Amino acid sequence: MTPGRRRARRARWLEFLWMTAPAVIVILLFVEIPFVMSVTYSFTKWNGLNRAVRFIGLANYKELLTNDPSFVSAMIFTLLFAVLTVAAINVFALLLAVILDMKIRGKNVLRAAFYIPNIISLIVIGYVWRFIFSRGFDSLGSLTHLGIFQLSWLGDTHLTFVSVVLVSVWQSIGFYMVIYIAGLQTVPRELVEAAVIDGTRPVSRFFRVTLPLIMPSVTVAVFYSVSNALKTFDVIFSLTFGGPGTATTSIALDIYKTAFSDDRFGYGSAKSVILFLLILVVTVTQLNAFKRREVQA
Amino acid sequence: MKRYLLVAAFVVLGAALVAGQGKTIKVFFYSPELTDQYNEMAKEYQAETGNTLDITVNQPDYRTLLAAKFNSGDIPDVFMSSAYSDNVNYQDYVYDLTNEDFVKQLEPTALLGVTVNGHITGYPFLVQSHSFIYNKQVFADAGITTLPRTVGEYDAVARKLQAKGIQPFATGYKEWWVLPQTAWQVLAPIKDSFGGDYANFVDKLNSGALKFKDIKEMSTVFDVLDLIKKYGGPKPMESDFNDQCSLLATGKAGMIHQGNWAEDSILKTNPSAMIGFLPGPVGNSAAKAGIMFDSNQTIRIAKDGANRQAALDWLRWLTTSPYGKAWIPDKIKQMSPIIGAKAPAAQLAQATAGMLKAKVPSYPWYYQRFPAGTEQALGIILQGYCAGQTTREQTLDALDASYTKIMNASK
Repeated sequence: MTPGRRRARRARWLEFLWMTAPAVIVILLFVEIPFVMSVTYSFTKWNGLNRAVRFIGLANYKELLTNDPSFVSAMIFTLLFAVLTVAAINVFALLLAVILDMKIRGKNVLRAAFYIPNIISLIVIGYVWRFIFSRGFDSLGSLTHLGIFQLSWLGDTHLTFVSVVLVSVWQSIGFYMVIYIAGLQTVPRELVEAAVIDGTRPVSRFFRVTLPLIMPSVTVAVFYSVSNALKTFDVIFSLTFGGPGTATTSIALDIYKTAFSDDRFGYGSAKSVILFLLILVVTVTQLNAFKRREVQA
Repeated sequence: MKRYLLVAAFVVLGAALVAGQGKTIKVFFYSPELTDQYNEMAKEYQAETGNTLDITVNQPDYRTLLAAKFNSGDIPDVFMSSAYSDNVNYQDYVYDLTNEDFVKQLEPTALLGVTVNGHITGYPFLVQSHSFIYNKQVFADAGITTLPRTVGEYDAVARKLQAKGIQPFATGYKEWWVLPQTAWQVLAPIKDSFGGDYANFVDKLNSGALKFKDIKEMSTVFDVLDLIKKYGGPKPMESDFNDQCSLLATGKAGMIHQGNWAEDSILKTNPSAMIGFLPGPVGNSAAKAGIMFDSNQTIRIAKDGANRQAALDWLRWLTTSPYGKAWIPDKIKQMSPIIGAKAPAAQLAQATAGMLKAKVPSYPWYYQRFPAGTEQALGIILQGYCAGQTTREQTLDALDASYTKIMNASK
């Protein structure tokens, strides 16, 4: 390499560095440094309040893996919740997207209507649904005498699971619908028309032509929904607070309770490191699996 | 241009003058139901002394927010906490009030909960009581004249109310803090097995020498929780504090387990509601049925607050000035810990006073001695029991496991 070319390369590097510096600094300050700090805290015993922080090595992780039934039950809940919500969200969002991508009247209004829950704060949504499930269903129940409204949607340990899944799906479906609509609009019309001329039926046309072409959207939507489901917190926090008992306590809520109610900050940090690793493994596996199925038009 | 600069200079000068007139004391409180009373008191204090109280009120995440404030250095001059175990919890941050003149104006019994090794770590704010609250009109209409005292008598009253088409209890099982209050009241006479000393009882729990599963009275605790659930309406697990207050106020429910802080909400729903306390059942012994009576809510002065002296002056004003002395009984309508304070014109406060006079047993809030963090953790376990998530045996094991974990973590 000649000195001139080396200098040009260094200049390009410097330019790259200072152009990205603002973003890098912000991310370092608000994401990376707190992350490293929380990993550090996971090796300590600290109640989040006292000035004394004690280093205890791997003791937190040992307790977490051998002696914590509440974390295990939160883990089971979260995985079940993730499987159900990811499947429901993606199937229904894709269905909605296909319908709202057709030439139907009022589709823009409908798209907006389905998207609106997504821009409301999750905490507010939790409280609104809490009201609907208790007061709203009470009134409907006394009006219609239908058994479905007289069930205890937030009080029964099994039914609350359904309520939490329903509200989460309802809330996030609009966002994924938009991703799928964007994907559908990239499908070349001539390919679809060619398939029509070849005499394919609509259903097989969707699965043979459209779906393979929108695999990039599927990859993105599944990735987001998986990582959001594993981190789920806000809706449960305001809808059930993990209750009754621990019936709907997700890993994130369990971390919150450990750190802020049991006053075990170090231990809570250890749990959040484990959650981070879990999300990392699941999403990387999912991305690799889905990327392989993407095709070019 | 010059004129604008002049105007700007005047604005800055004016702002500085206004700010310089008095100190601004940063206050962080809970109990949002008292927000109006807090603000009225702050207004009066500013009018009398020129000092401003900048009060922030929060309830559900109070502890979390307070910890965040301490850790980030945004220390409030005045904050709140429970008594007992919180004395130790916030020891790095509180100012020792032992040598302040105004604490001598407070009832010595109210100071017990905030005293550690002879040091007064906080200022008892309110004297409160909790037990079963009943709607007098509902009881009269159902022809109930003898008030229940034992689990059996409560059961009989509940059946009588239900026969009249009235929901006997409104539960607070949706809240994690109502369940432990109910449960630990049933357990209150336990001190008799420990030489009358709750410290001794809690020490045994803390050291692991005593387990919940070895306490035979725990079966009565479960009996009472079951009883409330059985007669607690169609959705007992969804009913919260607001439901309790409104159902009792409107006469749709006969009894709730709550404290005197519920009176305000009850009367807001129905200003003519007639309510009173019942001695809480502790098993079959009518003589031991009593009321939980203590000063738990504590005002604390931050050691490192920027306006510590101003905050102390405010507490002195609250204890000695005519307005300050009358504030709790007249405005908050609860019992004041100040010696010689007048009795509030509130039904539940008067019911408490009447029961104390009639020598109905009163028990302190001994469960506040449990390590910090257990209140919510144990409350959630009891909630799981009521929802049918765990059996009695599993619940006892879970209580022991959780208590031990939090105890070990706090060492």
